[in-house]
Amino acid sequence: MDLLLDVLDQQLIDKHGRKAGKIDGIALELREGKPPRVAYLEMGTDVLARRISPRLERWLQALRARMGREVAPFHVPWSKVKKVHLTVDADIDASKEPSYHVERWLAQHVIGPIPGSEIDHQRGKR
Amino acid sequence: MKNILKVALGILTSIGGFLDVGAIATTAQAGAVFGPRLLWVLAFSTLCVIFLVEMSGRLAAVSKHTLADALRERFGFRFFILPYASEMIVDLLVLGAEIGGVCLALQFVTGIAFRWFALPVALLVWLFLWLGSFSFVEDATAILGLVTIAFVIGAIRMKPGLHAVAAGFVPSLPPHDRPQYWYIALSIIGAVISPYLIYFYSSGAVEDEWTVKDLRVNRFVATIGMGFGSVVAMGVMVVAAATLLPAGIALDRYEQAPLMLSRSLGLAGFYLFAASLGIACFGACVESALAMAYLTAQTFGWNWGESVAPKHNARFASVYTGAILLAACVTLVVSDPLKLTLFSMALTVVILPLLLVPMIMLMNDGNFLKQHRNGPLSNFMGIVIVVTAILLSILAIPLQILGG
Repeated sequence: MDLLLDVLDQQLIDKHGRKAGKIDGIALELREGKPPRVAYLEMGTDVLARRISPRLERWLQALRARMGREVAPFHVPWSKVKKVHLTVDADIDASKEPSYHVERWLAQHVIGPIPGSEIDHQRGKR
Repeated sequence: MKNILKVALGILTSIGGFLDVGAIATTAQAGAVFGPRLLWVLAFSTLCVIFLVEMSGRLAAVSKHTLADALRERFGFRFFILPYASEMIVDLLVLGAEIGGVCLALQFVTGIAFRWFALPVALLVWLFLWLGSFSFVEDATAILGLVTIAFVIGAIRMKPGLHAVAAGFVPSLPPHDRPQYWYIALSIIGAVISPYLIYFYSSGAVEDEWTVKDLRVNRFVATIGMGFGSVVAMGVMVVAAATLLPAGIALDRYEQAPLMLSRSLGLAGFYLFAASLGIACFGACVESALAMAYLTAQTFGWNWGESVAPKHNARFASVYTGAILLAACVTLVVSDPLKLTLFSMALTVVILPLLLVPMIMLMNDGNFLKQHRNGPLSNFMGIVIVVTAILLSILAIPLQILGG
């Protein structure tokens, strides 16, 4: 397995088969006298901002601190990763992860209240 | 029979991505100023877009990855943020222009200024996406889109000289206004090869659950779908050449546009023009708004799908909802939808290489495409397309100053 090719930027799938974001970053653990190993996968806007430029990440964090909002980091321990092949499948529940709060907030306050938001067509597929 | 139904995706992609306000405006202008002389540019862009759409469908059928998924996964976020962000900006302007196109069609029929229609049209586009399933969107647009054949009928009714039409397929320079000739040529390519169409088609193929078994269907759908758009666009150019050119109408104001069909088909032609413009632009609204939602969801790895209840895909539904609202504001503030259209097409040409270069590289990646990688013919066309795109993106701004 090639971490940069097979893991970074790949689609993360949770235990219910739901798309849980793309792998935005990989954290390695350095060990003395032993080869480094993967500690966890990380997701979220901070990680993405860091990949564009570390300055952007600091700026984003400062902005967030000013607004008084704190977002828990979304980490997936490597031990939870079940399969790496085209997608990365992990034994987590996406709806319980921090990154899901935007989805939940939109569903509750924006999309949900609009009539017709629960009409599902998946059964009627041809 | 089932395979014939799959053509709906091709026709939808074509009505929405090929036959949009940009393609109608530029091909009509080409016909009005240069007669059928620019047909070869249209034929060349059609060939390019057939190859690109086929590749995008093949990628989705073989790898189950949409183009945006595969590009982010293969090239990483740090690179993909560039094509993603630029595409979102251009798509927003395109969506604004297309809403403007529907509004213009309504203005032609009712005489009420187009601006008044911006919000109702936006609401209608949104309702279509909010309530419809993907196959509904596909089928409704494909069936309604057939009305655009009026342009072909209009063109035939004018009995254009077959010789002149055939000569249009051979590249030749006009005796006058060469900068404008090249500027219109560039605009036609920009109007036909829209990135959102290429992104959209691969998402559609995943929505329709295509597999390796569909590769032949994909080739057929890409050719028939884009071929349909192309024949109608050629009809626009020929009918404009036969009606507007002799009358000396250079189509510099959008109010002149319905003349091309009313001179050929009478009063019915006037209404057919309005209906064709309205439906083609409506299809483009639906397609570009969906394309933005697909592109965003796939870039960040969210759940997506047009058939899923909006509440269970809140971020996806929020993207198209927000995009339609913002684009309607763009339509409200511009003074001339035609200018917005030409501007967004020129921008499309500038950002085109950002999609096409990595896309052709991706189509040769065995991890995604296994034995279905690009063959020599697709790669040859790929190189032709990329070289053309890079040249155009460099020339777009100077040509706009000289010829626009």
